[in-house]
Amino acid sequence: MTEPRSPGTASIPQTVPASTDTSSPAVEMDPVEYTLRKRLPRKLPKRRNDVYVNMKTDFRAQLARCQKLLEGGGHREICVHGLGLAINRAINIALQLQASSQGALQLAANTSTVELVDDLEPEDPDEAGEPMTRTRNNSAIHIKVFYPDPQ
Amino acid sequence: MSAAKHKMREKKMRNQPVSVQYSSSSQGAASSPQNGGDTPVPGGGAAAARQRNPLCQGGWVRGHHKDGGGYSKEMPKYITGIAFARARAAEVSAMLKAVNKTTGSCHVFGALPKHMRRRAMSHNTKRLPCRLRDVANRMREKSLKAGQKKKKEQAKNKSRKARRRHGNLLLEFNRRQRKNMWLETHIWHAKRFHMLKKWGYCLGDRPTYKCYRPCYRAMSSHCLLQDLSYYCCIELQGEEDKLLASLSQLTSKDAGSTFAAALSLSGRRQGSAVVYRAGQYPSQPLGPVTFLWRPRTPGSAHRQLWIWAHPTLKQDLLPELQSVCQCCEAVIPPVAPVITPAGFVAPTPEPELNPEKTPEAKQTPGTKRKRSCKDAVGPPAKKIVGDGTRSPTTPVTWKSSSTGIVINDLTLEIVRYRLIGPQSHSVLTETLEAATDCHAISKSQPSSLWWPEHCKDESKMALHRQQADVFHTLKGIYSTGEVLSGTVLGLTVDDPRLTLPKTKGKAMPSVKQAQEVDEEKRRELMLQGVPEHCCQSFLWDQSVRDNVTHNKISEQELNRMKSEVLVPGSRLSPTPLQGRVPLLLVHQPGKQVGQEMSSWGAGWDLLLPKGWGMAFWVPLVYRGVRTGGLKMSLKHSQNKGAPHFPHDYPDCPAGVRFQEEQEAELLEKFKRRPPAKRTNYIKHGCLAPFRCPWQQLAEEWELIMRAQGEERKGQSQTQTTTETNTLTAEEVTSCHHVTITPQSTFTVLRNRKSLRLLSGWCRPTSSKGQRSCRGGAVPPLDCSSMTSLLLAHVNSLVWVRLSLLSKGKPELHALVCVPTPEDLKLQHKEPGYSGPQEPLLRDHFKSRIKRRKKVSKEAAKSSSSSEKPVGKATELSSASNTIPTSSPIVIPSLAQSCDPISFASSTPPSQTSTLSITPAKDPKSSSSSSDLIFGLWPDPLPSVISHCSRVTLGWVTQGDFSLSAGCGEALGFVSLTGLLNTLLNQPAEQRGLVLLRNPTSLQYRFAKINIEV
Repeated sequence: MTEPRSPGTASIPQTVPASTDTSSPAVEMDPVEYTLRKRLPRKLPKRRNDVYVNMKTDFRAQLARCQKLLEGGGHREICVHGLGLAINRAINIALQLQASSQGALQLAANTSTVELVDDLEPEDPDEAGEPMTRTRNNSAIHIKVFYPDPQ
Repeated sequence: MSAAKHKMREKKMRNQPVSVQYSSSSQGAASSPQNGGDTPVPGGGAAAARQRNPLCQGGWVRGHHKDGGGYSKEMPKYITGIAFARARAAEVSAMLKAVNKTTGSCHVFGALPKHMRRRAMSHNTKRLPCRLRDVANRMREKSLKAGQKKKKEQAKNKSRKARRRHGNLLLEFNRRQRKNMWLETHIWHAKRFHMLKKWGYCLGDRPTYKCYRPCYRAMSSHCLLQDLSYYCCIELQGEEDKLLASLSQLTSKDAGSTFAAALSLSGRRQGSAVVYRAGQYPSQPLGPVTFLWRPRTPGSAHRQLWIWAHPTLKQDLLPELQSVCQCCEAVIPPVAPVITPAGFVAPTPEPELNPEKTPEAKQTPGTKRKRSCKDAVGPPAKKIVGDGTRSPTTPVTWKSSSTGIVINDLTLEIVRYRLIGPQSHSVLTETLEAATDCHAISKSQPSSLWWPEHCKDESKMALHRQQADVFHTLKGIYSTGEVLSGTVLGLTVDDPRLTLPKTKGKAMPSVKQAQEVDEEKRRELMLQGVPEHCCQSFLWDQSVRDNVTHNKISEQELNRMKSEVLVPGSRLSPTPLQGRVPLLLVHQPGKQVGQEMSSWGAGWDLLLPKGWGMAFWVPLVYRGVRTGGLKMSLKHSQNKGAPHFPHDYPDCPAGVRFQEEQEAELLEKFKRRPPAKRTNYIKHGCLAPFRCPWQQLAEEWELIMRAQGEERKGQSQTQTTTETNTLTAEEVTSCHHVTITPQSTFTVLRNRKSLRLLSGWCRPTSSKGQRSCRGGAVPPLDCSSMTSLLLAHVNSLVWVRLSLLSKGKPELHALVCVPTPEDLKLQHKEPGYSGPQEPLLRDHFKSRIKRRKKVSKEAAKSSSSSEKPVGKATELSSASNTIPTSSPIVIPSLAQSCDPISFASSTPPSQTSTLSITPAKDPKSSSSSSDLIFGLWPDPLPSVISHCSRVTLGWVTQGDFSLSAGCGEALGFVSLTGLLNTLLNQPAEQRGLVLLRNPTSLQYRFAKINIEV
């Protein structure tokens, strides 16, 4: 359906080099010698009622999209996913949805850890042997927003 | 000339009566016969009249003419009634005759009024009215006879059936691609694409159907397929250290990776580099290449390297490689193997492999006869691209006796397809299937095919199984961008025609397939890439390649085999032995620069042995990919933010050639328009709408800097407040007076360190979205760092990406300008401010062109009149003499009168320019007037940077609305000096803002400069 604008659906704030939040302090990285290149988070197949939240799109637009799915789209439940910085926003969206529905909607949140891949490319490709690839973890949230069954 | 005109005039006047004129010297009765008394003598009448009346001078100067005209001043005192009436009667009768006679000789229905004519009348005379039918019939017979004659000439050609016969068709195809070679997919493309003849190839430019957006969508969500076989592959073989030593002269570490980059050298990754002329690093670049090392074979220092280059680059690159490697001895190929067409080689192995072929051979007598006669006639036969078009004596191999390096030109030997898009791996995994093992029986027999031989070797089979395993893991990933960029995978696959689906579908990744794949293996592929030994492929072997090419089963044969399968539509089994193809899969990285849309447009390249192009193309297309042409590859690189080869390399020889071609093309298109409908680029203040004078731009900025530097010395500390925009014509004038020293040609800045520095400076330092991520690393922008950078790169241009802040779509050769401080202030205050406007300039050349036209007309006239024997026209001799002498005087006076107006605003009255622009002083003024084109500046351009109200920084080389960014985006070059100067003078929070103006518009738009490394 609506493709997200950027292929990285749940966006990590892309601060290119010298990202201090990298979780593996084992690799000593000199920013002069290496360029850090982040790969996109792994993209999973997506249903129509999956909403990946990012930090680039306007908040209201994302909220409106969710509302449209629930009301016009005829879905009984949607999943709101957020990764890293976007967790906050995902929670915000879910709560807004609930508040605007006067309690008709219920939430069920799940958290998980997503493995991300970084490439370190040496500035001087001839001398430094291996360009390194390392993984780091980032948190993610998956919130199910649904109408409870009538019984 | 005038003789021809006279003749035409005579022809026209043949049936006309002599015009009746009363001579001024009314001589009563003597003049009366002349006054129209004579009967209209057809043909001779006019001439006779002219002879009689010398004042008339041919009597046909159009309109009233004071001196040339034959009108008399006074009216006659009396007229003779009878003579006058007779004359009028003659005129009337002549007019009636002229009206009644059909003029054209071609068609009878010319006699009919327009509304009664019908198209079908020309072949069905019964549609004509009765009175015209006879004539029409006669005419028709006549034309038929003429047509028959023509047809007889044509009949010497073969009948269509004969022409379409396979062998003849191939001959015809070979003839047609003698000049511009065809790719293997040419016929497929020619049916669906607008074809272009470019770079010695026939290439598809864009599909004939509308698919701009679907193609973009395919690139960003599914898969787009392109045939890149026209890229030239040059193979280098030799000792590793010797190869590296000679190749290192061509590249520099400063400009990115080189041939020696560790990962590429191992053969695990494709590398890319910008190649320069040997040892000339910052200047004289040649262009970008990609390269692929063959993985090391254990215990041998002998290496093999493929360099892939664009065809326009090849002609520069190949001599350079030869000189670097000292390979000058051309190895003339042995004639026989090169000419021998594949069809000739094939029969030898085929009979023994295909026992069922022999019964098949005796088919209908017709085919048999054809085959035998074909064999008898000789080898026009089948041609596999790469053989037939090249003359067999052209050397393709060069050897060096000193270094032992062998250079091999593998152009068109390897087919290269590019799949772009996140789903390209699923298209590949669905289309290709790792080669199946062959049976034990065939293993035991010796075979001329390569695959059964390989099956005997257990180590090779183990490698094959590993490769197939890695290929299988590809199913587990969801997006092409997940794989390590530049990964290489060697593979041997089955003939994809065997698994061709019945209907066209869309290859999508399936979750089920993905779950089958071992998670651990997938992780390894993502993190480590493909292990080194799996990058090996038999595609590197010349012998295997030839074997595979020559033993390909023809389409016809394959279809026959399929039809003989017991269950229709089931898979052919056992798989025919010929159907094993070695190939290489090379991952292409997507967008690597910038922050948004990273890894957009990633994909895979598929390298195949020649001859197998269509066998892979159709199965790929059946997996629901879109196909794109040259235009799409341009858009791909534009969205990726990467320079496209001939377009964005103006400092390379190929880029220069491209620019010239483009200019000629655009100018031609411009001139085809009537002058009144053209855009007047002079009025729009666009000096060079069709080409960018980069050299002039770079030099002018250098001069300004120098002048500023001198000024700065004088004024000591106040220079920080000087603004670039105050550099008006005066300063440029002063610069122009400085004798221009022969400076080096401009170069494009490719030094990564400097680019990184610039990229940091271009960003606004205190913006919302920008974290101070690299703030510490980038030294602050100030005069000292600027001058040091400038000193290091004289006459440089910087490649920039410009994204528009509000609406607007940048076009080709749009101007990049410096905003004035007022513009910036307005932009800061009003969020909706779209940008300043350029006042309309005056076109001073317009009047000049007009006047020149007039003058030339007069000159023509006078020359025609002067041609006439002067002795007869004694009265006019003085007048006719003055005109030709006066015409050269008129032009310089005109030119002088308009020169000060036209150039005072723009150019300094420097001696060089005035001398070159006003060539009217020399007598050959007419020749200079011919190169004045309405709406374009004549050639010696005035100062390019200060021509408009905003100072010009550079030009756009590609611009469009970017579907990926959702706003107008442009790629272009700006002068490094100008850019630094601008940045220095801009407030910190608005740093990197420039103005963009299309050549056909007066509206400036704000744009943001991005420099990405």
